[in-house]
Amino acid sequence: MILKPCYHCGEDVPQDLNIQSEIDNNTVDFCCYGCQAIAEFIKGADLSSYYQHRTEKAESALEHDKLDNKFSLIKDPDLYPLYVYIDNDTHHIQMSLKGMTCAACAWLIETRLKQLEGVSSIHINLSTSLATLEWQPDTLDIIEITQEVQKLGYQATPYRADQSDLDIKQSKKTSIIRLGIAGVGMMQVMMSAIAIYAGDMQGMHDNFKQLLGWASFIFATPVVLYSAFPFFKAALRDLKTRHFTMDLPVSLGIGLAYISSVYSMITGTGHVYFDSVTMFTFFLLLGRFLEEAARHKSHSNNRNQQELSSAWLIQDGQATEVPLSKISINDIIAIKSGENIPVDGVITKGNTSVDESSLTGEYLPTNKTLGQSVVAQTINVEQNIEIRVTAIGKQTRAAAIERLTDRALGEKPKIAKIADNVAHYFVILVLLCASATFIGWTLAGSDEAYWIMISVLVVTCPCALSLATPVALTSATNKLKDIGLLVTRGHVIESLARCKHIVFDKTGTLTHGQFEIHQVVSTDKDESLAIASALELGSIHPIAKAFNKHTKHKAKDIRNVTGLGVEGMIDKARYRLGNANFMSDWGYQVDESHFAGLTIYLAKQDEGIIATILLQDRLRPNCQTSIRDLRQDSITVSLLTGDTQDSANAVLDEKEFDHFKYQMSPEDKWHWLNSQSNKSNILMVGDGLNDVPSLAGANTSIAMASSSDLAKIHADAILINSQINTINRAIRLAKKCQRIIKQNLFWAASYNTIMLPAAIMGYVPAWAAAIGMALSSLLVALNASRLSK
Amino acid sequence: MESLYLLIPIAALFVFIAVGIFTWAVKKDQFDDLDREGQRILFEEDDNDKK
Repeated sequence: MILKPCYHCGEDVPQDLNIQSEIDNNTVDFCCYGCQAIAEFIKGADLSSYYQHRTEKAESALEHDKLDNKFSLIKDPDLYPLYVYIDNDTHHIQMSLKGMTCAACAWLIETRLKQLEGVSSIHINLSTSLATLEWQPDTLDIIEITQEVQKLGYQATPYRADQSDLDIKQSKKTSIIRLGIAGVGMMQVMMSAIAIYAGDMQGMHDNFKQLLGWASFIFATPVVLYSAFPFFKAALRDLKTRHFTMDLPVSLGIGLAYISSVYSMITGTGHVYFDSVTMFTFFLLLGRFLEEAARHKSHSNNRNQQELSSAWLIQDGQATEVPLSKISINDIIAIKSGENIPVDGVITKGNTSVDESSLTGEYLPTNKTLGQSVVAQTINVEQNIEIRVTAIGKQTRAAAIERLTDRALGEKPKIAKIADNVAHYFVILVLLCASATFIGWTLAGSDEAYWIMISVLVVTCPCALSLATPVALTSATNKLKDIGLLVTRGHVIESLARCKHIVFDKTGTLTHGQFEIHQVVSTDKDESLAIASALELGSIHPIAKAFNKHTKHKAKDIRNVTGLGVEGMIDKARYRLGNANFMSDWGYQVDESHFAGLTIYLAKQDEGIIATILLQDRLRPNCQTSIRDLRQDSITVSLLTGDTQDSANAVLDEKEFDHFKYQMSPEDKWHWLNSQSNKSNILMVGDGLNDVPSLAGANTSIAMASSSDLAKIHADAILINSQINTINRAIRLAKKCQRIIKQNLFWAASYNTIMLPAAIMGYVPAWAAAIGMALSSLLVALNASRLSK
Repeated sequence: MESLYLLIPIAALFVFIAVGIFTWAVKKDQFDDLDREGQRILFEEDDNDKK
């Protein structure tokens, strides 16, 4: 039977679930009460047209596990002025929004907030997911405003731009202006150029020819001096470092062609190349602009999380919520179950279990008792505890990972780009040829020596050569985005093609990173699962995620017992769900399990065990076939996991990998990568905080879509669709791209080699050189467009 | 044909005005959001219906 999609988020609605509402005179289904509440709220606010306008489905309300509101924190007098700009009674704030999928979402939030009294203006930028809000705090509290946003199904956090954000914004603006001026300039110069060429063929008075020349000069000048400025700057840097990249021949081409065009225009001799110069500049800038835009898009807005974390400080037996910045070492703080642990510390009260998966990759929580230490960036799962703070901020274990990351970045192997290697020798050759030609013809006593030299330079102008790589890379990058890999650094495609060794993380990368039900042994499976789901409802223990959130039962008196399981009442009967020790506590013995994953039991008081449930982290689809295919293409495949050997072997077969390493710390992973012989051909795929140093230090790295923000920032590409076989397709595409780049380079180089002797001999008239240059660039661009098919 | 002496400078003037407006627009954050503004016109219509 076909499952109905949820009206709000589009996910499948389970069969026996019956959550329905009347919207626009239709009865519609929902996957959960959260989605229903959002849709009802939207309907109540008279904004139902959101559902007609949207082009993407919304995020499921089940994604919002914790709806904590960070805005209560900025009320702290120290933080308030950092986030809020005060203008008489109107206050201004920027918020970062999570969950927006299309323009309709932005419209929905804007329209809803404008309906509120006390909001003077709201503007949402969809590209950056930032909202600028102006409101009157006397009329309306900021917390009420952000609660409205939450009711619509989005998350808002206070945002404040740091220096790097401002720099990025400024450089983006400058790039747009440069590109715009180059585009407009190119069009104007082309128009004059057509007239000049037509005049050459049909005959035109010299006065008009000169007029058109001046016109193209006026339009080409800003393009060369302003738009092409970044190339000149980079070329100057090349000269200083004595390592020539493509920027040098590009600047040389643009600069010399421009200067000689100006000279020939003033003296009325020779040929003008303004058209070629502007077109060339525009296409190069366009390629760079697209690459930059993709990189900024992956930039996250949530870097000031640390500043917006809070803690419950215990003073004289009283707990008060204070910003994390006010906590110092040896303070006692309380951490509720389900909260993030913000600092390193030692437990002084209570027992609990802690989810340390972000640091170790081990997804089963570890039990922690009095006197044991807990570390920042982990999650307290079961009970409320109190800890004595031992390290804060930069001293914590998690901050040490960031420092390691910085070091790894510094030691990242240099990526040699093919085009830049070619460029190095090409520049030297061109300069030698041009000066030899000039000297030769001058010695031979020719008046035309200068013009022949310009011909040589134009013929060898690296247009086709320097366009050969960028146009192919741009097509390939777009194609990769379509198949599910977002490339954020320019070198990725070249290094993917050369990749000889892929290193995977396990939890969250090859597997989904959470428990799923493998098998249920019971007389009535459905009923047992429904009871188990009811008991686990609302729990944040990783095991709870395996159970359905839609259940017909309702459990009361739920009690979590650390390290054992959960107990609760359903229909006047008492149930327990947990491990073997929890069962024997009631006097029920269980058969020893040989299952490699995790075995838990469901018992009814006075009746005995009614179900055995086997749980396991599951591999992502196509994972095994992808790895086999990679190895068939003679690529080495390794696995590095922070997990124990047993838990790694439970889901993966050691024989499928060339190297299989377990219990690796973040440092171990990075050192292992560094110790490999072919480390410049390694591709690292990971997701967690523990992978970040390796992701930053590896030659090429891919982060999963569900990765931590830090992992995404340091990865070279992001696997948006989370399918492992996308990597196989990406490598194949990268190899094809590499072939096309080589064909392009070959064509450009042979064109230059054939034309060069002719130009040296003085047989190539300037106009023929210009047309040949344009045609060879066109051919290169057409060849690259084959990639997007 | 002599009219070109007048028309080309006028055309150039227009182009410079256009570039000036474009630069001003970029600096005034008009090009900040390349994903949304193209669709805004589709939503504004509803607002007017209600008023």
